[in-house]
Amino acid sequence: MTGSVTAKYREMRVNATDLFDLVLLALLLTCAIGIARLKDLAACAILFSAYSFILCLVWAHRGAPDVAMTEAAVGAGITTVLFLVVISRVGRREK
Amino acid sequence: MKIAATALSHVDYLVAVALFLTGAWILLTSGNLVKKVIGLNIMETSVFAFIVTTGMIDGGAPPLVAPGDPGPFASPLPHALVLTGIVVAVSVTSLALVLILRVRAEFGSVELDEIALSLAAGDTAEQSERHGSADD
Amino acid sequence: MNRRRAGRILTAVLIAALAVPLMYGMVQLPAPGHADAPAHTNVSAGYIERGAELGGSENLVTGVLLNFRALDTFGEVLVIFTAWLAVAAVAGTASNAERDPVPPSPVVDYVIRLLGPFIAIFALFVIVNGHVLPGGGFQGGVLLGAMLILLSLVMDAETVARAVSARSWIWLRATGVLVFAMVAVMGLPLAGYLFGLPDEPGLRQVLTVALELGIGIGGGAVLAGLFFAIAGADRS
Repeated sequence: MTGSVTAKYREMRVNATDLFDLVLLALLLTCAIGIARLKDLAACAILFSAYSFILCLVWAHRGAPDVAMTEAAVGAGITTVLFLVVISRVGRREK
Repeated sequence: MKIAATALSHVDYLVAVALFLTGAWILLTSGNLVKKVIGLNIMETSVFAFIVTTGMIDGGAPPLVAPGDPGPFASPLPHALVLTGIVVAVSVTSLALVLILRVRAEFGSVELDEIALSLAAGDTAEQSERHGSADD
Repeated sequence: MNRRRAGRILTAVLIAALAVPLMYGMVQLPAPGHADAPAHTNVSAGYIERGAELGGSENLVTGVLLNFRALDTFGEVLVIFTAWLAVAAVAGTASNAERDPVPPSPVVDYVIRLLGPFIAIFALFVIVNGHVLPGGGFQGGVLLGAMLILLSLVMDAETVARAVSARSWIWLRATGVLVFAMVAVMGLPLAGYLFGLPDEPGLRQVLTVALELGIGIGGGAVLAGLFFAIAGADRS
């Protein structure tokens, strides 16, 4: 059974930067600049989660499914939850 | 024209640099400790993005090699490196966050300005206390 | 806040000064995806050609992590275990503020309880198939950790943390380090050097899966422990 799944993965060849990549990269920059400008820490944490997910898409598209899987669980999941827990303790307003 | 073509072909690297600089900007200018850690995370992920991008190859498949598969394959070494890096990054982040909670318990704030103020106030209080005891 | 403004201008100048050499260096590199990029011109080709055969796993990333670069991975497993020790030590002295008493909506609660077992099965699948499919110890471990954190968001974090006794949690968190150390020492008689895996395919497969399981369970328990410690629920 794993053989057929492996075959599916082999079909996803990566190509040089295409329009999909450009859109994702633009979204990445937007998220990062949004984090820099926003004063609401909870919004920053959620934006960071979105940032991680977009990065995970970029990596899945770059032929790195292992890294993408880890980033989706760690960056978008665990790190964001840790940030939110701490923000719920220290207050969400940045001065 | 040549510059534009180079920028387009290297857009992944350039975006990684831009993300690194944005993260550095957040880390340096924000006075809030939690925001600083978010900035640090952006810097880390931008470096990961750069390393993963160096490993990709045109028309390459993920590095799952079976006998008889001609390739080309993305280089597995940057992927293993970044995998290690991601897990270390979450360790660093959680340690920083728990230290921030400790700072909050100590000073009642996570803003650098306010911590500096309360440190200064604490210093003067301590000094006057010491002077008072010396007078006795 | 004039000082703050001056600081921001100084930072902008610094960042611009950093941007110029970085951008310049980047455009000097071969374009990403070219076969003459530095990542492809050195040892990489050797790993791709013979890595699956020598490392014993079709997924080369797992092969690199568990076999060729096993010492690095051992260091990393030690790093996350040490990180948990440090976080738990600091969190024990942090103020235990009262937690958010608002219960999640019943829909969220139900969906997460429903998803929990499926995430656990998927995590195990990812762990034990790490040598043929994308995945492996760390990837499955973070999925396990995420599942525990997700469950403790809808149930009481304390209930999840107490599902296993505090003593067992410590052993679970040390699993990665212990299994890795054991396999590393077993490499001496089996392969002739530390961290070596035997050449016999069946035995090598068993050891690879054991390593992946150890890293996965240990990593998941450590990541959940980081969350429990930070959320103030770890009473160990």
